Formats: sequence, structure tokens, C-alpha cells
Amino acid sequence: MLDMQQVKQRIEKLKKLPGIAPKPIPQLLEENGFSRRDFLKWSASLAATLGLPASFAPVVAEAAEVSDRLPVVWLHLAECTGCSESLLRTDAPTIDNLIFKYINLQYHDTIMAAAGWQAEENYEEALKEFKGRYVLCVEGGVPTKDGGEYLTIGPYAETGLHKLKRSAKDAAAIIAVGTCSSFGGIQAAAPNPTGAVGIHKVLDKQVINVPGCPPSDRNIVGTIVYVILYGQLPAVDNFNRPKWAYGLRIHDLCERRGHFDAGEFVEEFGSEEAMNGFCLYKKGCKGPYTFNNCSRERFNQHTSWPIQAGHGCIGCSEPDFWDAMAPYEEPLANHKFESIEADATADKVGITILTVAGVAIAAHAAISAIKKPKE
Amino acid sequence: MKFLKVLGEYIGGIEFSAGYRWQHWIRAISIFVLIATGFYLANPYITYGAPSPTPTRFLHAEFREWHIIFGFALIGAVLYKTIYFFFFPEAKYERASIKDAFNIKLLFQQIGYYLLISKHPKTTGVYNPLQFWAYTLAYVLFYGIIITGLALYAEVYHQGLGGALYPFAKSVESFLGGLAYVRLWHHILMWAIIIFVVVHVYMAVYNAVFGKNGGMDAIFSGMKWEKEEH
Ligand code: SF4
Ligand code: SF4
Repeated sequence: MLDMQQVKQRIEKLKKLPGIAPKPIPQLLEENGFSRRDFLKWSASLAATLGLPASFAPVVAEAAEVSDRLPVVWLHLAECTGCSESLLRTDAPTIDNLIFKYINLQYHDTIMAAAGWQAEENYEEALKEFKGRYVLCVEGGVPTKDGGEYLTIGPYAETGLHKLKRSAKDAAAIIAVGTCSSFGGIQAAAPNPTGAVGIHKVLDKQVINVPGCPPSDRNIVGTIVYVILYGQLPAVDNFNRPKWAYGLRIHDLCERRGHFDAGEFVEEFGSEEAMNGFCLYKKGCKGPYTFNNCSRERFNQHTSWPIQAGHGCIGCSEPDFWDAMAPYEEPLANHKFESIEADATADKVGITILTVAGVAIAAHAAISAIKKPKE
Repeated sequence: MKFLKVLGEYIGGIEFSAGYRWQHWIRAISIFVLIATGFYLANPYITYGAPSPTPTRFLHAEFREWHIIFGFALIGAVLYKTIYFFFFPEAKYERASIKDAFNIKLLFQQIGYYLLISKHPKTTGVYNPLQFWAYTLAYVLFYGIIITGLALYAEVYHQGLGGALYPFAKSVESFLGGLAYVRLWHHILMWAIIIFVVVHVYMAVYNAVFGKNGGMDAIFSGMKWEKEEH
């Protein structure tokens, strides 16, 4: 990690570059009803989320102010736009999504004003003008089968695969937003007919994964701010996820953990135990296998999160989670394996083999008793 | 006693040393405790209906504690046995089984014995080829379950041993494709061990019944008896 001095130098350098926001960010925030005080509070909380000491709060604020110097290009591949929704849909604009709005170039399928040829032109221009400077955010997995033809975008039917590679070439940093772009997501679930994969599989540059289905707005903006702040990628875990967000399991910080250790489990949704806030492990909670910070950050302006609302975690920020974590409302021990007798659990297969072995043993013993083995 | 009389000439000797026998029984007990507690951890079969008036219940934590204690006992036993096999002088006759194990004729003869069509082969080492390969497989299973178990352990206990093992745990996790898969493999390996144990116990009893040389006693007393060939 860089020290404060280097971060400051970097911010000075960024300040000299032209910004893409219509006005300086602090002014825009003020026009949208956020006081300086709100902004500083926001910076302090973001610094804390990123695992930085409190002394970093003012630098985080400064970084946010110059965040429009490193514009974001947003590429949509095979996805459902849920990640964009997570970022943009709140009952009132937050500082996170305002900043995102102003650092975002005029190419984001969901929010851009332009359409058709004009939109395409904006994109090409952005790639040229901000060459080597833009942060490429990719939402969605990339189909690779048959040359990637299961996903084509725009008037020339360019494949997603091609567009991704081309856009990644001159990016200052590449962020995979959401589980689909990180690990392939739902379109990569078995049998994966389009050969969809996470974008890191087809790029030779480092990709930082911000998985989740969707990831929280905090994790998306936090990662972008981190890149701006340090000019380098944050420390990541074994699946290239920023450690500040994905360093611990859901289970490690879950508010129901006390009930877990106590052996107090919900057996039925809507039951007495559910009302008592018991642990959801037996109703399929995958928090013990899932690295994410939902239990700390929550969703919708920190209002709530799945486990608080009474449903287990489905492990959405883990690789291959559509297959690995199924069935979602049963413990992992009930995982279904493909077998002759469709969808058997490990226990079922085990008991079957054991029964067969038992019968074989009994038969062998009986035959041996009659026709003795040779001495 | 009346029914005791001289029955041919027997030669005897220590087949299994005390350390060997201890590790065997520690391992055996551990396996049973680990299976019972493991099934609970996978899908808790005892739960409470009402919350505790005071937060002093730790049922799941206790199951986990025993699972971990016996898990480490198993690790100790398996490690001891591995080192014993390769380096201890008294394991010389065990190591001699390696040569037998690659003797295809011997292997078929052993299979033939269990199919009741050929005689029990004479081996130079303590294990017959079939037994040797079955045990080798058992050790693959043991190391598999130990590695996945330690990976799961390190993810819960971030300090001390867990902390030291953390980078290793992470590489296991990446290799298997996520912590959920680590857990699934841990469970599958348990089933493989259960099946091994059942077959193993049957084979031991079978040989005791038909071998008529107190074969099963060796794992208790260490002594092996064989009729002397004249
Ligand atoms: S609800 Fe899920 S994450 Fe929370 S303690 Fe239970 S198993 Fe862990
Ligand atoms: S609680 Fe689990 S399933 Fe839900 S958003 Fe968080 S990581 Fe994904």
C-alpha cells in the first residue's frame, strides 16, 4: 500500500488533468443538496470501508473530488443489468451514485442519453480520447463458444468478446462488476450453452473482481475510488476480489451467528424459530462459504440485507455459485449430484453404495461359510 | 483347560508395535466420532425450538469442538503411521509388502482366494497385494479429508495454527473452486472412508474366521502366529 504522501502527489497530478464532469464535483454535490459536512462524513465512512485509517478521510474526499479525471467506461456483456440497478436505484440519490453519474462517460446502456449510431460514436471517441486513462467496468459474462457469436452488440454485430478485448487494451484498470463478469454467472451455469466465462479468462491484463448478484453500490464505488486514490489495484484475495470487501465470510460477521453457535436453527420459514431470528443454516444459508461484506455494508443505503430479511445467503459472490450453492434453501449437504438416479445427494449415493456393499458382504460371507476358502 | 491341546507347531512374533496399535485405535475411534459430529455439522440433527433465556447455549460450537479435537487426533495418527511406514526400522516387513504389491500373480492369487478358487498366497511382507492397494487408497482418502478439513478449519480460526495454514487453505480453496466445494469434497471423502471401514472390518473378521491363526489378535496384542511349514 502506498503512503499518504504518494497518494497526495497522485491527486495533485490528477488535478491537472481535465475533468469530464460538467462542473467540479464538490459543486455538483452541493447543487444536489449535499453539504460539505455530508461529503466529509461520506468520505470518512468510505475510508473505513476500504480499511484505511481515519486520517485518510480527507484524502478520500480529495480523491472523490478529482474522480472525474479518470473516466469510467461501462461495458455491458451477457447480463441482466442488476449490478447497474444496485448502483443507481435508490430512493434518493446518494453521494456514491452521484459521483458515479459524473465520472461515468456517456456510454452506459442504462443511463446514457444517446442512442443508436450516436451512442456508438461516443464510445469510440471515449476510447480514443481517454486512451490509457479510463477505468473499464464490465458488467456481464463473455460468451466464448463459436467465436463468441452468442453475444453481439451494436450495428456491426461486433461480438462481446471482441469489444471487450478491444476496450481492455488501453484501459488504466479493469473492474469486473458483478458475478457474471467475475466468474461467468448465470449464463455460465451448467450446461453453459454459450461457453460464457468471467472476463479475466479472455484478457491478459489483471482484472479486479467485484462479484455479487448484485454487488452492493459500496463495493462498486469503493473499488473505483480505490483505483483513483492509489492508481493501482487494491490487495486482492485468491479469486482477485478486493480484500477490504471480500476478506471475510458472510458468516464471520452475521448477526445470527450467536444462534448458529448455540445450535438454534430455523426449520421452517414463518415458524416460531424464524420469528426468534434463529440461524438460517438449515434453510440453506451459504454464509459459511461466501466471502462478502453484506453483513456489514447491507443494501439500499445500509437498510437491510438478505439474512436480516429472513432468507439465507445464496453465496452469490462465489465462483460458480449457481451450481456450487444449489439447492438454495437446503444445507450444502443436500447438494445434488448428477447420477443415474437423477439428482442424488452425497448421503444418498453413500447409503446406496453402502447397501450394495452390505449385501455383497453378506452373500460373500454366506458362500464362504458353505464352500470354505482354500487353506 | 480341557479343550486345549498341542496343535501342530506355531511360530510367533510381534507384527504390530505398541505405537502402531495405538495409532490404529486412536484412528478408529476418531473416525467414529468424526462421522457422528460431522453429520451434525453438515445438517444439525438436534435443534432447539425456543431461544435460550440466557445466551449460554453452545451446542453447535461443542459439536464443532469435538470434531476438531478428534480431527487433530486423526491427523496425528495418520502422520505417525506415515512416518512409521517409511522410516521406522520395525516397519521393515511392511515396506517389504511394496514388492509383493507389484507382483501381479500374487495379486490375482489373492483375489482368487476371496473368490474361493485359489489358495491364500504366501507373501514376504505383512500385507497381501490387495490389502496393500486398499490401504494405499485409504491413505489417499485420509490425506484428502485432512487437507480439506484443515482448509475449513483455517477459515474459521484465523489465528495461531489456522493463521499459519491460511495461505495453504486459500490454495486448496482456489484449487477446488471455492469453499463450498471444499466442504462438498470433505463430505464425499467421509463417505468413501465409511465404505472403506465397513469393508475393512469385514475382511479382518473374515480372515480371523477362516485364517484360524488369531489374525485379528495382532491389532490388540501385536502378536502374529503362523503354522510352521515343515
Ligand atoms: S444465518 Fe447464515 S451466515 Fe448467519 S450465522 Fe447462520 S449460517 Fe452463518
Ligand atoms: S447475503 Fe450472500 S447471496 Fe446475498 S448478496 Fe450477500 S453474498 Fe450475495
